[in-house]
Amino acid sequence: MNRRDLVRALGTAALLPPLSGLSPGRLAATGRRAHRRARSRDLQVLDPHQSETVATMAELIIPATDTPGARAAQVDRFIDLLLAEWATDDDRASFLAGLADVDARAHTAFGTDFLTATEAQRATLLTQLDTEAQERRTGKADAQPPFFQRMKFLTVYGYCTSEVGATAELHYQTIPGSYDACSELGRWRAGPGDY
Amino acid sequence: MAAPSFDAIVVGSGITGGWAAKELCERGLKTLVLEAGRPIDPARDYVEHVPPWEMKFRGFGDRKALERDQFIQRHCYACNEYSGKFFVNDRENPYTFDADKPFHWIRGRQVGGKSIMWGRQVYRWSDLDFEANARDGFGVDWPIRYADIAPWYDYVEEFIGISGEALGLPQLPDGKFLPPMALNCAEQVVRDGVAKRFAPERVVTIGRVAILTAPHRGRAACHYCGPCERGCITHSYFNSIGVTLPVARATGRLTLRPYSVVHSVIYDEQRDRAAGVRVIDGQTHEPLEFRARIVFLCASTLESTRILLNSKGPRFPTGLANSSGELGRNLMDHAMGGGANGAIPGMEDRTVHGNRPNGIYVPRFRNVKTPSPDFLRGYGFQGGGGRGGWGRAASQPGFGAELKRALLKPGPWGFSFYGFGECLPRPTNYVELDPEKVDAWGVPALRIHCQWSDNERKLLHDMSVSAAEMLEAAGARDIQPFVDDNPPGLTIHEMGTARMGRDPKTSVLNAHNQCHDVKNLFVTDGACMASTACQNPSITYMALTARAAAYAVEAMKRHEL
Repeated sequence: MNRRDLVRALGTAALLPPLSGLSPGRLAATGRRAHRRARSRDLQVLDPHQSETVATMAELIIPATDTPGARAAQVDRFIDLLLAEWATDDDRASFLAGLADVDARAHTAFGTDFLTATEAQRATLLTQLDTEAQERRTGKADAQPPFFQRMKFLTVYGYCTSEVGATAELHYQTIPGSYDACSELGRWRAGPGDY
Repeated sequence: MAAPSFDAIVVGSGITGGWAAKELCERGLKTLVLEAGRPIDPARDYVEHVPPWEMKFRGFGDRKALERDQFIQRHCYACNEYSGKFFVNDRENPYTFDADKPFHWIRGRQVGGKSIMWGRQVYRWSDLDFEANARDGFGVDWPIRYADIAPWYDYVEEFIGISGEALGLPQLPDGKFLPPMALNCAEQVVRDGVAKRFAPERVVTIGRVAILTAPHRGRAACHYCGPCERGCITHSYFNSIGVTLPVARATGRLTLRPYSVVHSVIYDEQRDRAAGVRVIDGQTHEPLEFRARIVFLCASTLESTRILLNSKGPRFPTGLANSSGELGRNLMDHAMGGGANGAIPGMEDRTVHGNRPNGIYVPRFRNVKTPSPDFLRGYGFQGGGGRGGWGRAASQPGFGAELKRALLKPGPWGFSFYGFGECLPRPTNYVELDPEKVDAWGVPALRIHCQWSDNERKLLHDMSVSAAEMLEAAGARDIQPFVDDNPPGLTIHEMGTARMGRDPKTSVLNAHNQCHDVKNLFVTDGACMASTACQNPSITYMALTARAAAYAVEAMKRHEL
């Protein structure tokens, strides 16, 4: 593959070596196995309140529609794993601080936790967080991205690489079998891959 | 007990070791292939069809393990959570370099070597390349020309299967190609735009790759899953495990011994010949010896040179076959990473289906017909076009059902050119044995001294200029030229340190990859290279290996070896 040129441009991300899968039958079977594994693992970093906050926020970012959403994809567990075994101490602390800040903002604005706020209040809060993250994105590259930018990235990535997100929503295909170099959009069911 | 004896020993089982094994076995020699690393079982070890949710970190990789064990290897794009296991452990395989001259030595130690995760791009050299040293005086003249190697390019290409487009360009000779892969919508636009403004000098074509686009010699055509560097259960791209080693094995004359770390070549002073090799068993650390009539070093550029440097004795106090003093000198790598990105407007109702493991190629156009005043030699571009996928959603404003729908909406078309430039041979770029450091098997580590010269820096800058020009000609928007600061080594096209040449006083190997000093010792991997050209080098290594093996067997028949 053509090295980092393809990593460089978001515009060419479709050419990145994709993650691949198995035949549809085995795909489903292995996916079920993986999910059993995921369910059986206890959370390592997030306490029940934090994990429920993450799951709720993730579901607001990618909700269940005619397909399952981020909660069904267990994005909270994926985030917990990354916080426990991947993130640096600083990253973990700043993510958890960002999570606490969400509750603090909810208290200031509505006198309640994020989880006990009404749906409308949560949406207001998320809109505010998203707007702030977008504003900071347009500025100079921060050493530490805003909490909500990271939360959104992890939700999108965690959802799209989960079995549920990849198969039910994105129609991820392990073995396309052919290369159609310039085809009509919508002719093939599989969504644009960034695996 | 007498050391086990063979007709031939091949050190290494990758791209060149596999070819040496095939040719020597087919030509009747009882051949021992020594591989430093572990055996690979495709059914167990290949992971190209493992879905992301089966990976613990979903492709992010185990950051802590990478930083601890693969702090060099992780710089390679292919050393990820899936294929990282095909790259060495940097703690077990140390080397040193000056702090201000970083060199990224990317290595694979297993049966198959780096042929498992190589880039698969295949470009012939021409006489523009073989005559380059003679023309401008850098390095020594190649002892061969295109006519010497052309039949061997034919031979290896026909066997492994190369897909690509014939162009009739003198600087990039055509091979016998399987049908080319297709250029996608954006690439077609760029090809046409470049042709309109820059033809016939600059051409955008599909990459020439060792990937089958049609069934070939019992191997299936590519199924476009995408990540070849994770292995390929259908053997649709070339690696030694799936293509050359099985043929060697079928002769009944192959012995393949994994976990065999070659320490040095045994030199028989009385007979003035290599007698065999000293090995340290990779698992037990037991010292072993194997004897043979001829020895082929195919251990990778710097490993082969390291073995020779470590084979010191009274006759060759600075390393075996080093009467010239050139062993270790003239280390080169392609200068990679000047280019440009841009957005290609329109075609919003078009997309691609399938994961084509290949991109575009722009053959060298600098210093081909018109001389460039600023620099010697030239470069080629790789790259390609495509539309962004769900990853874009994370940076889009909003959340909820609308954001979820955006996951399925591809982004605008983008295109990147990424240059690979020729590196001048210079004696000040060299390797030696580190006086103190040894690897996990007690073999002295290399100390590497290598840095880019002004000529490479000028090539990199020119890449960014000419790439932006081509995008502009194609009607691209938001054109962003760039020059990456990649250290030498990271292109993984390291070459030289035991160069071929006409004169035993100034080169280590002759025109047949045979040591001037030790006639039954051959080096056929990248160490032999007297210059780098700008093309990906592996196919040239393969052709040189097959050619050297044929020569060695004929010489044995004539009782010269």
